[in-house]
Amino acid sequence: MAYFLQQVQRVTLLICCVVGTSLTISAQTKPLINSHLSGRVMDAQTKEPLPGAAVQIQGTTHGVITDQQGKFSFVTGQPFPYTLIVTYTGYKKLEIVANNPNIDIALEVLQSQLNDVVVVGYGTKKKSDLTGAISSVNNNLFKQPVSSIDQALKGSVPGVQVVQTSGQPGGGVSIRVRGGSSIQGGNEPLYVIDGFPVYNSTTNAGTTSGTPINPLASINPADIENIDILKDASATAIYGSRGANGVVIVTTKKGRADRSNISWESSYGVQSLRKKIDVLNAQEFAILRNEVLFDTNPAKGPNQYLSNEEVAKLGKGTDWQDAAFRSGNIQNHQLTISGGSAKTRYLLSGNYFTQEGIIRHTDFNRISLRANIDAQPYERLKISSSITASKSDANIAPSGIVSSLLLMPPTATIYEPNGSYTLRNPFENIFANPIATLNEQLNKSTTNRFFGTAFGELKVIEGLHVKVLLGADVNTTNEKLYIPSTIYEGTQTGGAAGRGNYSSYSWLNENTITYNKNIGRHAFDVLGGFTQQEFNSDVVRTGAEKFVTDQLKYNSLQSGATLVRPFSNTTSWVLHSWLARVNYTYDNRLYLTASIRTDGSSRFGKGNKWGYFPSAAVSWRIGNEDFFKRYKQTISDLKLRASFGVTGNLEIGEYQSLATLYSVTYIIGNKILTGFTPNRIANDQLGWETTDQYNAGIDVGLWNNRVLVTLDGYYKKTRNLLLNVELPWTSGQASSLQNFGSVENRGIEIGINSKNFVGDFTWSTDFNFSLNRNKVLSLGNGAKQYITGNYIIQVGQPLGSFYGTVTNGILQTGEEKDKGAFTGNAAPKPGDRLYKDINKDGTFTTAADRAIIGNAQPNFLAGIQNHFSYHGVSLSVFFQGSFGNKILNGNRQSLELFTGQQNAAGSARDRWTATNPSQTIPRAKLDPAPIFSDRFIEDGTFVRLKNIALSYDISRNWLHNIAGIQVYVSAQNLLTWTKYTGFDPEVTSGSNVSPGTDAGIYPVAKTFNAGIKVSF
Amino acid sequence: MKKLGILFLIICMGSIQGCSSLDENPQSDIVTNQFYQNESQADAAVIAAYRKLYETGQSLYNSLFQIGVEMATDDYEAGPRARNAHVRAISGLTHDASNDRMEQLWKQSYDAINTSNIAIERIALIGETHINGTVRTRLINEAKFLRALHYFNLVRWFGDVPLVLHEVNSLEANGLYVEKSPSSEVYAQIIKDLQDAENLPAPGAYSAANIGRATSGSAKSLLAKVYLTQQNWTLAAAKSREVIEAKWYDLFENFADVYAVGRKNGKEHIFSAQFLGNAGYQGNSLASRSAPNEVPGINGDYADAIHKQGGLYESFSENDTRKAVTFSTSLVSPTDGKTYTFEPHLHKYYDESVVGNQGQSSKNLPIIRYAEVLLIYAEALNESSGAPSTAAYEAIDKVRARAGIALLKDIAPNLGKDAFRDSVFQERRKELVYEYQRWFDLVRRGPDYYVKTLKAAGKTLAAPKHIRFPTPQRELNLNPKLKQDPLWL
Repeated sequence: MAYFLQQVQRVTLLICCVVGTSLTISAQTKPLINSHLSGRVMDAQTKEPLPGAAVQIQGTTHGVITDQQGKFSFVTGQPFPYTLIVTYTGYKKLEIVANNPNIDIALEVLQSQLNDVVVVGYGTKKKSDLTGAISSVNNNLFKQPVSSIDQALKGSVPGVQVVQTSGQPGGGVSIRVRGGSSIQGGNEPLYVIDGFPVYNSTTNAGTTSGTPINPLASINPADIENIDILKDASATAIYGSRGANGVVIVTTKKGRADRSNISWESSYGVQSLRKKIDVLNAQEFAILRNEVLFDTNPAKGPNQYLSNEEVAKLGKGTDWQDAAFRSGNIQNHQLTISGGSAKTRYLLSGNYFTQEGIIRHTDFNRISLRANIDAQPYERLKISSSITASKSDANIAPSGIVSSLLLMPPTATIYEPNGSYTLRNPFENIFANPIATLNEQLNKSTTNRFFGTAFGELKVIEGLHVKVLLGADVNTTNEKLYIPSTIYEGTQTGGAAGRGNYSSYSWLNENTITYNKNIGRHAFDVLGGFTQQEFNSDVVRTGAEKFVTDQLKYNSLQSGATLVRPFSNTTSWVLHSWLARVNYTYDNRLYLTASIRTDGSSRFGKGNKWGYFPSAAVSWRIGNEDFFKRYKQTISDLKLRASFGVTGNLEIGEYQSLATLYSVTYIIGNKILTGFTPNRIANDQLGWETTDQYNAGIDVGLWNNRVLVTLDGYYKKTRNLLLNVELPWTSGQASSLQNFGSVENRGIEIGINSKNFVGDFTWSTDFNFSLNRNKVLSLGNGAKQYITGNYIIQVGQPLGSFYGTVTNGILQTGEEKDKGAFTGNAAPKPGDRLYKDINKDGTFTTAADRAIIGNAQPNFLAGIQNHFSYHGVSLSVFFQGSFGNKILNGNRQSLELFTGQQNAAGSARDRWTATNPSQTIPRAKLDPAPIFSDRFIEDGTFVRLKNIALSYDISRNWLHNIAGIQVYVSAQNLLTWTKYTGFDPEVTSGSNVSPGTDAGIYPVAKTFNAGIKVSF
Repeated sequence: MKKLGILFLIICMGSIQGCSSLDENPQSDIVTNQFYQNESQADAAVIAAYRKLYETGQSLYNSLFQIGVEMATDDYEAGPRARNAHVRAISGLTHDASNDRMEQLWKQSYDAINTSNIAIERIALIGETHINGTVRTRLINEAKFLRALHYFNLVRWFGDVPLVLHEVNSLEANGLYVEKSPSSEVYAQIIKDLQDAENLPAPGAYSAANIGRATSGSAKSLLAKVYLTQQNWTLAAAKSREVIEAKWYDLFENFADVYAVGRKNGKEHIFSAQFLGNAGYQGNSLASRSAPNEVPGINGDYADAIHKQGGLYESFSENDTRKAVTFSTSLVSPTDGKTYTFEPHLHKYYDESVVGNQGQSSKNLPIIRYAEVLLIYAEALNESSGAPSTAAYEAIDKVRARAGIALLKDIAPNLGKDAFRDSVFQERRKELVYEYQRWFDLVRRGPDYYVKTLKAAGKTLAAPKHIRFPTPQRELNLNPKLKQDPLWL
């Protein structure tokens, strides 16, 4: 390996030398003036001028940009006639011969999307030339008011599942590209933002409670120009050990070389809870509690909680949901200034985004700045930088709030009669008054992030470019927590303050060489390079308890009487990579791509540092074959694609191969002493998770490419899973991270983009459909299954399988003897729930009588977006759906414990009583141990009007000095069709082993939004 | 342009030559092979072994014993707040091999044993110039004492168990998969380790900074208990007599002093789990688990219940000074000043200095104390002869006298062997409640006695198999050499 590296180093050095010397022979000559040319560029149909179109004289580097009236002029050394190349985004490129000093140029609107440029790893490609499976996200979706870009990906493209893991403003999102393939490693895709690879792992210091803020929320979504998602191995293998979960390439907006443009956009929205959960009111609850106490202790009579008269006076009591949920405002203001000349282009933007959560005292806001600059200081050199800095602040809902809101008894009040907070649930299940927590507990997170890349690209000779890219990502998260002594959580400690700081920096250096050459019908495009990235993170946490006053909050830790043990930790990783790719095209008919990346990562065992990730792909554009010409009237384009490649996954954290020690403390001599003991057994052989992926696809263009259909089928097998292989506890360890086992994902994806109407009235439709089937093939070590909580990972079954008991009706009067053993109770009574005796041993136990009772993965996902426009009015309607997935409704499981110790679901009204022998709802009783059963597995299928937006473009002809005004109204999550009884089917846990659980998750909101965009 | 070319050249060369290393050198962690080099690191290895008496959360001597073991006796049942199905299963004797608390007993004990094994083996390898020979022997013997203690627990809970005596530091199957050893072999190892530990410093020989470590007295007392459990009455009597005659220990005059924060590691304490409030996760959480939740400002987390029908509370006579120390039935709320009365709650570990935050109780948990040695002596003497001797009476009566109740020799001077045995067990129950002895005492008397006692206390599902815990199913699944206890097949 070392030898190989040396060789590659030598070759790279050699190339660098060539670059260096070739430059010395460059020379420049002064131009002579031979002609003057002036002209105008306009829309062929509307005859409206097109400002900002690029006009270039063929065979030279001389180019200009049209002004506001679409006019341009040249003073050039070229004598007439010469050819002009005119380009303008959204229009067909035109080559036109200029014979005399005046020319009018009319551009045709681009009908086909096939000429769109797609950003691929380390380069760009025309969509028509792709060999792999890459989807571009319709940028209409970025217009939704979202705090982070990943939220805008929902339902956007086939093969991508987006699950919001919290409705907390700035909260997290979990994304699976073509299914989850790792069990214990990370499953999130790699984000490449302006060339900088980022794995979106949480960056919290661990001080605050509740959902950590999504790190991607520090990147302003309004700055994004486009998002391309690389799915198959031919596309992702160039990212090697980080490509297995797919790659999301994010490109931010650049200045255009037209007149300066200033645009201001403001939007304002209101969010609200989509639906409340039906729970008992005070009177109903009191009756239930009386019933439970009577059942537990009959000797004390039927009114141990409240007398009938007291119950009658109760009324509805406190509605804790109403007390906590509110309508929250959301605002977004963006100022963008862009422009430039042919040689320098710039884009500056400032953004302020603020979102109040639909739960009191929760919010997120962000201020961000961006400066993107592209310049060509020398004829052969291009430089570019893309830099953003942002500050985000969040008030986070403390964990457990949502469950407490549901479970807090309606007979309890927010305040005691004396005006102080009711501390907690007055009954046996102790939890704090959630309103007091929301009002008084401070749980803040502030993130400052600087993120930027810069590159220089040098043209060595025609077709040969050397590019050096540098990038930095500097992130600091400050967390502050204060729990005052006046609320229940603070009563034990007398006030608790915490401060935490997470800081990380990551730097990147990429050196690539590209060479393009066309020889007759053969076109080559070669890429080679070396990249390195290093990441360092640092966490410090400290705190104090027992404060004399709550006034100082977290600002004076030294005044706490009790100090909390401080914590600090630092980690780093390094990744070195060599990459190479060859694209070969024969006559625009046959395309071949081959790539290889080798990655060396510090994360792996010393015997297994380097991995190799090759890929190959071929596509055949039948549409360009002669024999196909007769079908062209209908089938304007047809392409077949096939690819195979190997990618990896290294998301396991640092130092996992080493037998590190951890520190513990014990008391000797009544003093604290520190001890050290190993926390794992070393594994020198720890290596990558390897994913082999096969992909076959077909791209069809119909009716002059007005309809484009893309169909892909894939098979992904991930082997050498990074698995915490369970060890016998007799070893002193519970598990060891090893490469064991495999998982497969198979699927089909369909994408249809259709321009149904073109002309004055346009109507376009984007449709996507994806189906993924996941299966665990082996778990290594002879293991057939692992049970973790309510889930089972079993060979032959998909990940996300729920494992629980199966209900079997309700024990009725007189059945105690025959069926009592199936209640799981030592002393069964009529009204107890019956369960199936799955192991057929004649009795029911919660541990032994379980089965797979559903799966969190959807059968298929679909999204459809329709976009209509007519004379500046446009309407966009986006539906999204998930079908066949199951959700574990954890809130309901807690609410259906009719113990009288906490509030109960509305279904308690139909509970079994002697006079209401229900077959589905059990009786009220004390037993507070929840039994996980199929009762709480619900159909998570939903179809949702994700986004509807109506906008009006006030024509620029009306207004002087203002280039355009756009006003719009939109709504998100306006309509939802689902049978799911929880808050929202879209928000569930997103982890690999336990997806699809909705327990105490911050619900997602329904939003109405209105905005205006003015361009000058 | 020339300058540009040179610049690119420099960047390309620099970046390739300037690679940072792919080797991992953690800054915040020590790697095993860099450690265990000198005396202070040797001590850290032993401190870690002590720490395994209880780690964070529900751990062996910090309430797991209560939840995972004592719940299956006539003294306790899962209270109205015990929300965990596994805990309720133990209480109702419907537990099976997948019971997570019993899994934890197994897991945490072996974790502790592994930590002791590491100390025993690695300390022996430290170069002579880096550690004082006496300290080396002492540290190794401390670890052996701890290893013996955990094996003694394991063999009583699970019967035959795998006997792991070396650090497991590779993923080779041979080291990972160990078959069960007969309990006789496990006992032999326990005795061997404790005999080595008898060479530890005598009680009182440690400097103040080392108080709380195992002593020769700890080893001898535990050894007496091991012999007693084995029904090796002669050796049990001899070993407990040795402890008594050494005069290292005595009873506190006042029973409350046994649990007083100011009297920790006093004359009656032989070996205790050491707790300290507000010092990280070092508080005795049994205190908060046993504090009532209905008293404002106490913030109790009470989830267990003293079994009413078992009559433990009622079995204390009113003049028994242990009653008020062991239980509370009323408390004054620190919030509203009112007095609240409630069903009897355990009170032994309730720390008055942290009212409202009992999770930070600084009270130690006695693992073995002198009163128990006296009771071991009384029991062993009784069993090894035809009828209880005067010495046996004297031993039990010392405990009764301190409790302020009538002496046995006065109220029942002519007890037969069986009746005396019952008296000793009844005394153990009252004296040692919440010191995790009850389950061991019940099963020591055999399945019939256990089943009869539990049924009488209303736990109708009690069966002979309950005198042992099932080998965790997880371990059976992972380790092909392991077989389930025949009682549980």
